[in-house]
Amino acid sequence: MAETADIVNLRRYRLIRNAVFVWLTLVVLGAFLLRIPRIHILEHTARNLYFHVPMWFTLMAAALVSAYHSLRYLQSGDPVRDLRAREAARVGIVFGLLGLATGIVWSRFTWYLGTSLWWNFDPKQSFVLIQLLIYGAYFVLRSAVEDPEKRGRVAAVYNLFAFVTMPFLLYVLPRQMESLHPGAEGNPAFSDITHPIMRLVFYPAVIGFIGLFWVLYTQRVRLALLERRLEMRKATMLEAKS
Amino acid sequence: MKLQALTDTAGIATPYDTIWATAAVPTKPPQGIERIMLAEDKLYVVLAVVLIIWFGLILFIFRTDRKLDRLERTLQERLPEANTGLSS
Repeated sequence: MAETADIVNLRRYRLIRNAVFVWLTLVVLGAFLLRIPRIHILEHTARNLYFHVPMWFTLMAAALVSAYHSLRYLQSGDPVRDLRAREAARVGIVFGLLGLATGIVWSRFTWYLGTSLWWNFDPKQSFVLIQLLIYGAYFVLRSAVEDPEKRGRVAAVYNLFAFVTMPFLLYVLPRQMESLHPGAEGNPAFSDITHPIMRLVFYPAVIGFIGLFWVLYTQRVRLALLERRLEMRKATMLEAKS
Repeated sequence: MKLQALTDTAGIATPYDTIWATAAVPTKPPQGIERIMLAEDKLYVVLAVVLIIWFGLILFIFRTDRKLDRLERTLQERLPEANTGLSS
């Protein structure tokens, strides 16, 4: 099997890693130091736009990366593709869970104030939980199949299904119902209500967090490649012994 | 983007959500955890959100680290005499 350096461009990885750390530091500074419009109920929590929303963009980017590699796995049968799809999904779930947790805290102290509610079945929130469970089942499915080739194929097909449900669960369905989220039934869309100064921080935040996903994902891919090489070594050694 | 449009944040902004913005604002003074989170114009809610993300990422990095440790142990314990080719 090829060396890690043939599969992951380590120079590019380090460059992007360092750039992401500097970039996200600037995003956090901008998120707290720039003045934003005062909005009733939201007040300073409007700044959560820079942290809560990029989590979802990152989840979608991760799902896209994962689905792409699953598709390529089905075409080529290359085990590295399977491994990349797995790690992208894994890191994506982390960002999804963070998005869910931040959303719970945000709504508790703004719209659910005085109600002691932490969870009120906001459609987007509920559907995203379902989406995360769908991705959780991807890992359950993986652990249930022994044979690596069969596991790769079954998991890739399931992963493509999970990716296809995403736009419906995260966009189409929540927009038909009453929700706290912009773009939902009766709510203005994001583009109508967001002040330019907030976009100045928001878009870089999205890029920064997707970059952070890429860094963590590449770390996991490198780790998984090492693991795989070790296993192959062990297998050849056992063969040599017998 | 014009500079003035960027810096002018004083004007009345549209409420995020009309359904909830028109709902009755609770009149009794906030108690317990709400009293803490509502201080400084709810800035601590943002702090909580940033800390959640920060700790979540740290947790994930620790898990990656643990996997790395396990891999290193396997290399040392199970294949002590073998040239695993990992250092090359």
